[in-house]
Amino acid sequence: MTDPSGSGFRVVGERLPRPDARDKVHGLLRYADDLALGGMLQAKVVRAIRPSARILGIDTSRARAVPGVKCVLTARNVPNNVLFSDVPGQTTTVGPLRARTQVLADDVVRYLGEAVALVAAETEEAAEEAARLVAVEYVDLPGVYDPEAAMQPDAPPLEPTGNVISRWKIRKGDVEAGFREADVVIAETYRTGLIDHAFIEPEAGVGWLDDNGVVTLRVATQVIEHFRDVANVLGLPHSRVRIIAPYIGGGFGGKEDVTVEVFLGLLVWKTGRPVRLCYSREESILSPTKRHPFVMKYRHGARRDGTLVALQVELISDAGGYAYLSPLTLLYAMVHAAGPYRIPHVRVDGVSVLTNNPPTSAFRGFGSAQPAFAYESQMDALARALGMDPLAFREKNYLGKGERLASGQELETAVLLPETARRVWQALGPPSAPSGPGKRVGRGLASALTAYGRIVWLHDWSSAWIELQMDGTVLIRTGVPDIGGGQAASLIQIAAELLGVRQEEIAIHIGDSALTPLAGTTTATRQLYMSGSAVHKAASELRATLVEQTAELLQVPPAAVELADGMAYARTNGERKISFKELAAACARAHRSRSAFAIYQAPAGQVMDFETGQGKVFPDFTFGSQAVEVEVDETTGEVQVQRVAACYDVGRAINRNSVEGQIEGGVAMGIGYALLEEDRVAAGITQTPNLMTYLIPTALDVPDVTSIILESGEGMGPWGARGIGEPALVPTAPAIANAVFDAIGVRVTRLPITPERLWRARQAQEAAPAR
Amino acid sequence: MLLPRFEYRHATSLVQATTLLAENPEARPLAGGTDLLVDLRERRQTPRVLVDIGALPELAGITAADGGLAIGGGVTVGELLASSLVFERAPALRQAAHDFADFLTRNRATLGGNLANASPGADLVIPLLALDARVVLAGPGGERGLSLDGFLRGPRQTALAAGELVRAVVLPVAGGRQFFYKLGLKRGGAIAVVSVATRVELEGDGRCRAAAIALGAVAPRPFRASEAEAALRGHVLTPDRIAHAADLAAAAARPISDVRGGDDYRRAMVRALVARALSLSPPGNG
Amino acid sequence: MRTIEFALNGERTRVTVEPHETLLAVLRQRLAATEVKSGCERGDCGACAVMLDDKAINSCLTLAVQVEGKAVLTVRGLGAPEAPHPLQAAFVELGAAQCGICIPGMLVSLYALLREHPRATRREIREAIGGNLCRCTGYHKIVDAAEAAARRLAAAPR
Repeated sequence: MTDPSGSGFRVVGERLPRPDARDKVHGLLRYADDLALGGMLQAKVVRAIRPSARILGIDTSRARAVPGVKCVLTARNVPNNVLFSDVPGQTTTVGPLRARTQVLADDVVRYLGEAVALVAAETEEAAEEAARLVAVEYVDLPGVYDPEAAMQPDAPPLEPTGNVISRWKIRKGDVEAGFREADVVIAETYRTGLIDHAFIEPEAGVGWLDDNGVVTLRVATQVIEHFRDVANVLGLPHSRVRIIAPYIGGGFGGKEDVTVEVFLGLLVWKTGRPVRLCYSREESILSPTKRHPFVMKYRHGARRDGTLVALQVELISDAGGYAYLSPLTLLYAMVHAAGPYRIPHVRVDGVSVLTNNPPTSAFRGFGSAQPAFAYESQMDALARALGMDPLAFREKNYLGKGERLASGQELETAVLLPETARRVWQALGPPSAPSGPGKRVGRGLASALTAYGRIVWLHDWSSAWIELQMDGTVLIRTGVPDIGGGQAASLIQIAAELLGVRQEEIAIHIGDSALTPLAGTTTATRQLYMSGSAVHKAASELRATLVEQTAELLQVPPAAVELADGMAYARTNGERKISFKELAAACARAHRSRSAFAIYQAPAGQVMDFETGQGKVFPDFTFGSQAVEVEVDETTGEVQVQRVAACYDVGRAINRNSVEGQIEGGVAMGIGYALLEEDRVAAGITQTPNLMTYLIPTALDVPDVTSIILESGEGMGPWGARGIGEPALVPTAPAIANAVFDAIGVRVTRLPITPERLWRARQAQEAAPAR
Repeated sequence: MLLPRFEYRHATSLVQATTLLAENPEARPLAGGTDLLVDLRERRQTPRVLVDIGALPELAGITAADGGLAIGGGVTVGELLASSLVFERAPALRQAAHDFADFLTRNRATLGGNLANASPGADLVIPLLALDARVVLAGPGGERGLSLDGFLRGPRQTALAAGELVRAVVLPVAGGRQFFYKLGLKRGGAIAVVSVATRVELEGDGRCRAAAIALGAVAPRPFRASEAEAALRGHVLTPDRIAHAADLAAAAARPISDVRGGDDYRRAMVRALVARALSLSPPGNG
Repeated sequence: MRTIEFALNGERTRVTVEPHETLLAVLRQRLAATEVKSGCERGDCGACAVMLDDKAINSCLTLAVQVEGKAVLTVRGLGAPEAPHPLQAAFVELGAAQCGICIPGMLVSLYALLREHPRATRREIREAIGGNLCRCTGYHKIVDAAEAAARRLAAAPR
């Protein structure tokens, strides 16, 4: 076990099986909806059937009369009927934004499916019937369903201050002067769709009132810190709410904002009984949140030799009915808007706008995926306009280490973009022949940067506790929810590396706001970086203790002590090996703590300059490229992705299987984003209410993926690891769009590229006069 | 969402099933359940009684009959896909079975259910229509046969009378080249945007002896593009002749715009896919 | 209400159900077989797949009363942690499970495939899980694991 790979590591980088996988393949893992408690009530949410309406009254009498119904709640029964999400730094036109969402609709509903009332009953059947019988009287209000229309002065305002909830800008150089230097200018408007997270586990949970009156909620969430939100809504001290969320059936950002937590908290608090609430798939699709549709107006200028000189961007994001995290998503989009390219003159303006569409917020890629579709389509169009090879054109313009983004942030760590692009392009191999008449094969490339870790002025931290137990095994406690990325397993692997024990000797308790030290959210591709660092720190402290104890026992200097294969010994004399069990006993005798608690504080930074958008916003970025080969049916517009290669500098691969798993899954989600997925909403009403109409990729829609992992060792996480969860999705859609262009010479500027859209784009191109 | 309440009757013979159905006007037959139970859950249908016909021996089996095939109404899509008889004698039907929903659904969904559900884009109906299938209905008063074309009445409407079930589908000898293509929005589990089934038989001199063109999801019910077929009969399938027939097929379509596609796209796809199907029929031999 | 009797993972099981209760609901809520997952309740996602006699089916679109006298096999019936089915072992070894919520249904479909086609190709594996949606893995390692299990099963003495 001591460094079998010659990498200098014992287990880091190995393809160790995840400890949680065993439970998962035997059906033993209990997900949020898998717990049943005695006397448990069944809950249902009554949802608005209008996208924009005033509530004239709610009659719950018939619902209450249904036998078995224990509780019907409306806004007036909620102690504090508001959830806040603070957005620091929104100080311009809209003021410091304390984005408010009502828990239950009080006076007005702003989107279809907004929660209006809650029901809890002895049986699910009674709860469903009662929910149907809650009579809500609405009068329609004028609605606005297009963000550009919502910005107009005469648009019906969702907030008294207007529909624009966020504005950001980035100013670098002199854009007008830059465009004067340009020989080629490409201007295009890109649009992306409203996307559902479509995790296979719907939002769900079970809550109960525990000892000492603690409202305890075992739910599917990426954020156990929502105990504070629940406590605030109930008017309880934070210590009276506990959230447990160890292993989650997929998150992708859709379990980042509050979902079932507050509803369960209210019903448990009011009834004193255990309560179960599990959304139906239709409810999951209807309820917040989704990925923002963006309108992105891009204009790039380049010199004849392929040097980029100017970029002007306008971003408009549709926030839907409530702000949620829209201003922050937009900020991410701003910083990523220019892509990983050196452009001397840049101007980016962004707005986020309320509409009566479904509310949008966090989604894997968090504002970095939408602009990547635009800037990488632009790079492809520019290369073609200049008669340059798309790879050579990018190589000329990639930013390097030590250079600065348009937002002024310096790239302080390795930027291996040229290598990632070359590697994926090569990995596609010789081109495939078309499978039949009317079929065309094409290839596309896309590169991207994606931030990982939270915004530096949010002062992110994580914590972990580790203990050598009396039997010689190791226990970790940390408040990380594992959403499927292998978060828990990687933490074990980190501790195993440092302590020299097999991973089977390490147990981990995660995701409990009362009993595990808080680790922050499983979002923003931050857990390996942040909680990995916290575990690294705690395990290093424990290691130091064990080394000290061993040195004392063996009468050798601490520097001579080795911990390996679950034993402690002196390198100078390996004869006497001390088991970890002996070591635990020795520590106890010596009154030496066998545990360590560590807090990892991310390096903090100053708030950016709001007038110029200049400043450091993110701790670091992950860089990578993807190349795809598609086959397009010229006649029908069908696109089949045949090959995908993806290459990322992940800094350090802690578990190679998990890294590849993130890449493969990100690519699949990217294929859905590119070709299949769109929550189609007409006048605020979704037309794709289930997984028959909202289409996510099946095994037949996704090819095998060639993953290429680079390890610069320069990331911010343990041993220089970077995050890969979100970055894996980002380049796929533009790579596919570029491949489609390569195949048939048609550029589709709107996602998803459905067969019909491609057909229409081709019709339009054929109808247009030749240039 | 829970299913609404209903009574459940498990039929063990065809006579019992048809009698139960005839006696209860609010009863519906339950075969694979892949459409019916979804309709119940979403309250599009709320029958008082479900008569389970899943175990009826009279509805089982795929047999060779007079050079053609007889397929029981209770045969699942998975059984169609596994059948060598279907593979040999009705390749278009086999292709439709292959493209039908997914592995799990194919193990439950039945031929009779797909016919009786009468969706405008019903996957199995389109090739069966092109293969001149006849439908055998069994009711309390006995059996009757009619053409599949006559069976289909409109969207979700069929010739089934109270108490009647699809006992079997009979396919005559079908020479020539068969083709089925379902244009969907994804590979796995797709619902048809447009589906096309064709069968073309040629004379020794390359003239078209017989042509069948069936279209799905582009009209209130699956239908045969008879004018296009007539334009082919007796002619050599030159590119011009094929284009003419494809135009006639497109003109016969009455597509709507919905979440899966616009009417103009659907019409254009009828033209394109019919032309593609006819182009695949090699000239000179059947 | 009626009492039905069927074999659940080889054990004789009696349970009283209403006609409108789905097999999925009865398995999860009455019989504590929560290894069968619920993802859509309309046959779109495959999370609830179980073997009904010799076929893999969606238990959300099967009534509990319909399994009278039949055999139902869930993922727990494929193998135990101390004696996993080769599919289960390969899924763990090759990292085919991420969040894991689709895995019980996925394994049932693959089990059904390998029973009938022990030498299934990657293409056939993809066809067999065409009705099992996974949002995490991109399916690549799932197909790898199924292929590895097929090899192992083919090599195993009968």
